[in-house]
Amino acid sequence: MTKLGWRRWLILVAFLLAASFAALFAVRTVRHALYWTHHRDEAIRPWMSVGYVARSYHVPPPVLYRAIDLDAVTRDRRPLREIALQQNRPVEAVITDLQRAIADFRAHPEQFPPPQPKEPKVP
Amino acid sequence: MSISDYLLATLSVYGVPMLFVALVIGCVGVPLPSSLLLLAAGSFVEQGELNLWLVLGLSAVGSVLGDNVGYAIGRWGGPRLTDRLTKLVGGETKIKETEEWLRRRGSSGIFLSRWLLTPLGPIVNLIAGATKYRWRRFFLFDLIGEALWVVLYVLLGKIFSDRVQALYDLLGNLTWAMFSLVFAVAFGVLLFKHLRSL
Repeated sequence: MTKLGWRRWLILVAFLLAASFAALFAVRTVRHALYWTHHRDEAIRPWMSVGYVARSYHVPPPVLYRAIDLDAVTRDRRPLREIALQQNRPVEAVITDLQRAIADFRAHPEQFPPPQPKEPKVP
Repeated sequence: MSISDYLLATLSVYGVPMLFVALVIGCVGVPLPSSLLLLAAGSFVEQGELNLWLVLGLSAVGSVLGDNVGYAIGRWGGPRLTDRLTKLVGGETKIKETEEWLRRRGSSGIFLSRWLLTPLGPIVNLIAGATKYRWRRFFLFDLIGEALWVVLYVLLGKIFSDRVQALYDLLGNLTWAMFSLVFAVAFGVLLFKHLRSL
């Protein structure tokens, strides 16, 4: 200890710490890159809009709008958190409904016809 | 709900003005997930909810503005702040050395800390200001680096618009790996010099 001196020991500890962090984050980067290549589904988060979830899960947006009782024709850019607040229920409940709708759609895509456009008003 | 979730939810409601404010604050040094906001903004552009040119323009202006606030704080922040920075860097002589280093290699340090080693950005701004690094030069490399960061992250978010969270996790880990590696190399070189002098 005395031969190296406290300053050198400090540098050694700092070096080992930095090297360990570099190795840790390198491993995490590789793990995320592998995850990326397999493209497993992202977890649905409160910040996401219905449109984003639909895009991420490759599900037609109207399927998801209908699942949480929203108008399936007009686009709603609000985050799920806002929708849950307006529907007076926890955001987790909204996320569960979306997950169920995604699973149903993937199991039986033929059962989800595209929404009919609104009829033009007859003068 | 995490701070990231809260900011992203706010971004989808308030759009580009919110992105601008968050980037200014983030570049001054408040730890905000600015890169995640840029990726998400790219995804919103792809979904037709935000305008690409507005996102790119205001993001670049916001981040350069934040960096310059950091530079100004370092330069005119008063003796107490200068003292603290001097202590942080390692004393008067170290400030002189840092000043010299910035004069020689500062441009690449400023440029790389804008888009590759982003956690270093705010401290580089403060040190550049405190060591009176030439503002015009700081501004030039800051602008180039921030423009690259903004374009890179917004376009990545636009291209991979269905995988923003996964992309952020990947790039976030890569950034911290690079950041740690820079320190590991710097400490390694220092250690080697000390051991050689034994």
